[in-house]
Amino acid sequence: MKNLAVFIDSKSGQVAESSKRLLDFVSNWALEHGTSVFVYGFEPFSSELFNAYASIKQYTHIKIPDLVNHNQVIAPLLEDIHQKEIGQFFYVKTLLVDTMASSIANSLQIPLISNVLKVEKVAAGYQLTKSVFSGKATITTEIKGESFLIAFSKSFSIDLPGHVGNSTIIQSEITLEKDPQNILIENHPITGSIPLPDAAIVVGAGRGLKDPSNWAMVEDFAKELGAATACSKPVSDLNWRPHHEHVGQTGVKIAPKLYIACGISGAIQHLAGVNGSRKIVVINNDPEAPFFKHADYGIVGDVFDVLPRLLNKLKSH
Amino acid sequence: MKILVCISVVPDTTSKITLDSSNTRINSEGLTYIVGPYDDYALSRAIEIKEQTQAELVVLHVGTADSEALIRKCLALGADSAVRIDSSAIDSYQVAQEIIQYAQDKSFDLIMMGKEAIDYNSGIVHALVAHGLGYNHFSPVMHLDFDAGKLTLEIETDLGKSKVSSTLPAVLGCQEPIAEWKIPSMRGIMTARTKEITVIAPTKVNFESQISAQVIETERLQKMIPVENAESLIDMLKSENLI
Ligand SMILES: Cc1cc2nc3c(=O)[nH]c(=O)nc-3n(C[C@H](O)[C@H](O)[C@H](O)COP(=O)(O)OP(=O)(O)OC[C@H]3O[C@@H](n4cnc5c(N)ncnc54)[C@H](O)[C@@H]3O)c2cc1C
Ligand SMILES: Nc1ncnc2c1ncn2[C@@H]1O[C@H](COP(=O)(O)O)[C@@H](O)[C@H]1O
Repeated sequence: MKNLAVFIDSKSGQVAESSKRLLDFVSNWALEHGTSVFVYGFEPFSSELFNAYASIKQYTHIKIPDLVNHNQVIAPLLEDIHQKEIGQFFYVKTLLVDTMASSIANSLQIPLISNVLKVEKVAAGYQLTKSVFSGKATITTEIKGESFLIAFSKSFSIDLPGHVGNSTIIQSEITLEKDPQNILIENHPITGSIPLPDAAIVVGAGRGLKDPSNWAMVEDFAKELGAATACSKPVSDLNWRPHHEHVGQTGVKIAPKLYIACGISGAIQHLAGVNGSRKIVVINNDPEAPFFKHADYGIVGDVFDVLPRLLNKLKSH
Repeated sequence: MKILVCISVVPDTTSKITLDSSNTRINSEGLTYIVGPYDDYALSRAIEIKEQTQAELVVLHVGTADSEALIRKCLALGADSAVRIDSSAIDSYQVAQEIIQYAQDKSFDLIMMGKEAIDYNSGIVHALVAHGLGYNHFSPVMHLDFDAGKLTLEIETDLGKSKVSSTLPAVLGCQEPIAEWKIPSMRGIMTARTKEITVIAPTKVNFESQISAQVIETERLQKMIPVENAESLIDMLKSENLI
């Protein structure tokens, strides 16, 4: 069997929780299949991070230009992959790696399968469970052949023991060149607040808040909880909140352990983005609001009364 | 200038997903289908560019004859012609290979798609097609200005938003607020009747085959807390280690 590659996601030297779970999975998968793992990432890491995994052989820091988009610049990466005889690739979905993975898939003519929750080896090949219809269903598919790329959904569910054995890994670096046809004009990084797709707790608010100035209350509450803020689509359409905060069918899909929805009716298109939440709390002054049917805890009340009281209670702890 | 818009055909966003009698497939009976909402944004922006530049606008769908009414709707909105690749492929990799095969020798300047199809939510067809054709690629694109052959785009990235400039040819995955969804005019509907939908046979063999499906029903507690005791919510969440 050919070797395996993992792309890890990190920010300011912190490896994302989902990438750690992925390393656990892939290093075990490699031990089972008697093969080796090569890890790729976009920041430098000291080798200690990987020493606990017996099957990991090398960490490669891919140095990228400020704008990675043009699919031709990955030639050095393809060369590296070729030398390492990699046949299977695993990552947790990000826009950056989706683009790279697409180029790898096309170049090697191997399938790229997206939004995967689970992978198993079966007699005929590999069986994959994928999340579909915005989390309303899953499908199981089979792929033939030993080579593929798998993009896990952020909520992929693989229970495996953690680190196994130890190894001394080699570090290396490859550099992708800037593509002159594509120029970065301005960057607007999201700063300060917690990024929505990764947040463990999310406080969402809808048109029930009535005016953008009322968001101070939502933000204070979220801050006290260490939560990210989200909104419904009409709220971002009205420019009350930035577009990247809108969750739902046409917005971000979230899967936090706790979602607190304030003044949101619970339209099916909104639910499509929050169905993956472990527990849902709904605060709405209309007892008939459809969201209550999809809530773990519901409070029928005026958000302008309830939210400040909850905040007070939190602060008093 | 030649523009290609690729549309997916997906169950309406309000659809309740169920399984068929074999329990292995999503039941398509009783579902209403729509053009993917993101693809609709791409098409709407493409129509505006067509009006601005007199570009030729072709709509492409990889799918079965069941989708022809929706393809006709795209023609009614302003596309000049349509192509359907007669395949029941459901995986994005396969769909992308079909699109690459078709577009290879057609020299489209701009290929516009949605950022993702809302049925299988892969979000990769545009990147695959861009690489396959050697075109520039950006997704998700929220604003698109087109001037003198140059693109100025506002895109979302993993870290926030960026403004970039790019050149043609390009493949773009679109999302709101790139344009407002459009409604066909009576005249559009009439002229669409005479426009052509070319049907092409598929080329590639599937890598991936579906063997079963499961519907996810998340059971919710639906526990109501009287508003007088709203504060007790905090204790409950604490005791469950949710906060
Ligand atoms: C194709 C398509 C895609 C869509 N995609 C999305 C999507 O991705 N995300 C999304 O959110 N929507 C989406 N929508 C829109 C969706 O259908 C709803 O219109 C939207 O979710 C409603 O937003 P809302 O709940 O904030 O507003 P409303 O429906 O206006 O609800 C406001 C709620 O606030 C409550 N309220 C009012 N005052 C108070 C108060 N003082 N205290 C407490 N509660 C109060 C009301 O009882 C009401 O339930 C989409 C629609 C379509 C057609
Ligand atoms: N069957 C299809 N036919 C034509 N275009 C498609 C098809 N499926 C997906 N697309 C396009 O590719 C985009 C991304 O799809 P996906 O990668 O499958 O999420 C969609 O928004 C469409 O624009």
